[in-house]
Amino acid sequence: MNSSNLKKAGILTALLVTGTLACWEIYLRSKGFPISYDDDAALWSTKRVKVYQPSDAATVFIGSSRIKYDLDIPTWENITGDKVIQLSMVGTSPRPFLEDLASDKNFKGKLIIDITEGLFFGRNKLSTEKTSREFENYYKTWTPAQKFSSYINYIIESGFVFLEKNKFSLNALLDDLPVIKRKGVSVRGVFPKGFGMNTSERQSFMDARFLKDTLQQKRQQQNWIQGNNFDKTPGISGDSLETIFKEVKNNIDKIKARGGQILFVRTPSTGDYRGAEEIAYPRQKYWDKLLSYTNTPGIYFEDYPETAHFICPEWSHLTSSDAVVYTNSLIKILIQEKGWSFPKKKISF
Amino acid sequence: MVFNSYTFIVFFLVILILHNLPFSWKIKKINLLIASYIFYAAWNPPFILLLWMATIIDFFVGRALYTQPNKHKRHLLLVLSLCGNLGMLCFFKYGGFLLENFTHLVNALGVDYHPAKPNIILPAGISFYTFTTLCYTIDMYKKRSKPVKSMLDFSLFVTFFPHLVAGPIVRPPQLVPQFETPHKATQQQLMQGLLLISLGLFLKVVLADSMLAGTANNVFNSKDSLATLDAWMGVLAFSGQIFCDFAGYSTCAIGVASCLGFILPENFLYPYAAIGFSDFWRRWHITLSAWLRDYLYIPLGGNRKGKLRTYTNLMITMLLGGLWHGASWTFVVWGALHGFYLWIEKLIQDFRKMKMKPQVQTVIPSPVIVQGFMAPRFLRKVNSSNFLLALLTFFMINVTWVFFRAPDFTSAWRMLTSMFSHVKNGQVLLSTLSIIKVSIIIVGIVIFHWFMRNTRVVTVANKLPWWLLGIIWAVILLLLILSQESTSSFIYFQF
Repeated sequence: MNSSNLKKAGILTALLVTGTLACWEIYLRSKGFPISYDDDAALWSTKRVKVYQPSDAATVFIGSSRIKYDLDIPTWENITGDKVIQLSMVGTSPRPFLEDLASDKNFKGKLIIDITEGLFFGRNKLSTEKTSREFENYYKTWTPAQKFSSYINYIIESGFVFLEKNKFSLNALLDDLPVIKRKGVSVRGVFPKGFGMNTSERQSFMDARFLKDTLQQKRQQQNWIQGNNFDKTPGISGDSLETIFKEVKNNIDKIKARGGQILFVRTPSTGDYRGAEEIAYPRQKYWDKLLSYTNTPGIYFEDYPETAHFICPEWSHLTSSDAVVYTNSLIKILIQEKGWSFPKKKISF
Repeated sequence: MVFNSYTFIVFFLVILILHNLPFSWKIKKINLLIASYIFYAAWNPPFILLLWMATIIDFFVGRALYTQPNKHKRHLLLVLSLCGNLGMLCFFKYGGFLLENFTHLVNALGVDYHPAKPNIILPAGISFYTFTTLCYTIDMYKKRSKPVKSMLDFSLFVTFFPHLVAGPIVRPPQLVPQFETPHKATQQQLMQGLLLISLGLFLKVVLADSMLAGTANNVFNSKDSLATLDAWMGVLAFSGQIFCDFAGYSTCAIGVASCLGFILPENFLYPYAAIGFSDFWRRWHITLSAWLRDYLYIPLGGNRKGKLRTYTNLMITMLLGGLWHGASWTFVVWGALHGFYLWIEKLIQDFRKMKMKPQVQTVIPSPVIVQGFMAPRFLRKVNSSNFLLALLTFFMINVTWVFFRAPDFTSAWRMLTSMFSHVKNGQVLLSTLSIIKVSIIIVGIVIFHWFMRNTRVVTVANKLPWWLLGIIWAVILLLLILSQESTSSFIYFQF
């Protein structure tokens, strides 16, 4: 083939690729999918690097998925004037992150730890901490090239809906195929596409289609049931539990000794999910003991009328509009009852 | 910096523009050299010092080796160069391994010695650029080629970013002459380069990372004995992953160089269509096997010193080749298995030669040096019956990959047991979709390799109608974009 034919092939390729991607993007937008960012190690690292801001300028959040849905970052930042550094991660325990921040002598800021008992006190440490450790390692070996790629990736992801790996990548699309399940293999249920959207600040949200579609909500409830989230066997106890309390206290003491401020938060869960949690992780044995053992304040959603009434569409996370209300209430409780202050803004309720 | 990253796309566009601006050839070479250092430093900046050290030492030692008339001084210079290059490689790559084995040894002798585990970070691509500089100094010692005149050309030869971190391992005569005269890609070279980059990224991102890596990791990370089907699928997935990952890198490297107007040697020629193991090594990581042949096997005596020495040399070469891949005994066993396969093949070859001796001697004169790596004549024909031999070779190669991928011998043995016996209550691990993906891709790779075994992808692309090539290219790019894999490293970076 001569060079002009190669050139023709190249032009045809460019046209076909551009045309196909444009059609795919238009189709997804017409279906109502919003822009959503990959919640990967690179995005996490862009937040982790910011934890060294002064304590009167930022609040760091670590936890599992609930605080990512339930904390409305724009609301928090508007009211308090503080920046939110969201380091929580879906499906993992925040204990590795607590350990990481405690061992980082330069961190001395405000820290809020979200507790989802099944993950925080999880039986299988390998599974609940695996991703957290991977993200930490990624951050520690974050190369200049990877940093620059993250920046370009952010620009590109801001413009295209189809660049959402968990929903529209080749593997995600193949996962939607109706393939017969192999006997004996436990396959994690595929989450509905409208369930786990992410902003560039790492706030998660459910899109409008998911919130309107009760079938999708039920499908997600089924995913929780199949994913062992409904295991009603009592959680860990005895020495194993004691070890966790000791480890958490040790890390918290290190941060407090440097002038850091820490608070635990238990965000809402409802329905059958809540019922299973109450059986497996009774409040007295886990939450209350955690607070008293570590001598750290906490906010439990059921203790306050303004946070006790929410209904989670799929039993575990708040809608975006409820997240705004919840965040407002959380700030109010923090200031009025827990003595937290946000000097950058004059706040009145 | 890795080829499969946005950083590289921006970096490459800038280099391409700079290389096509009307600067002098010297300025363009300086641009390429600075770009190569940036390419390397973007990974871990301090390690660039090692690269500079290797470049400076070998440039001056190489020149002195060529010009020094005193034999003893030349020996001394060669030893200095070997110690410098191999010493650095030993420290960074094999330091921990040597210490661990030394500890085991003295403990076995009853000495209570437990040193702290060394925390040594392996500089990316050290094995590759060490071999590149080593071949230069050895060539200078043997006066195989003339020393590189300019420090700039030598630095660029060592550091040229397409081959720097994972090959192809280049020899001075392959690259240095290209730096001596101005090189700029023709339109054809540019388009072919872009096509090869697309293909290389497709192999790495779509096939290796997106489709196969998950299954291979699942299976090899399992702590339990597996069902036979799962074990085989895991090994096949790794077999595909390691090929697509490494061949993907080499294809990108050749494509990137082509876009700049340079030619790098081929590194893969459809190895899963190999008929026999010597054929495999002529098709897999060609530049490494050629390096080992020329700088290890032949200097050891090759096949010129009798049958016993030939077999011994072959095994030594494969054992060290295995160790080159990683500081672990599992890699040594991987090399040993390949050495064993080559022994068997050579035995068959010798037996057949013995039977056919009278006829062969009268018709074809025997070459002075018959390379140990050369394929037996009966295996070189390409016909459908040989396809079965190719499948047998592929099957045997898969067995060796178990040792290459398994983290330790216990895991390797568990995997082999799962593969070759019925394990009662073996864990069923893989989903139907994973099995379908691996099966389609591996069957596709083997068939594709078979039909391509005597040709090149660029040759085939040139024969296709432009519209068909355009459609295939578009599908490759679309799958690449839609796979959305993050910028994971190439497996061979760790070697």
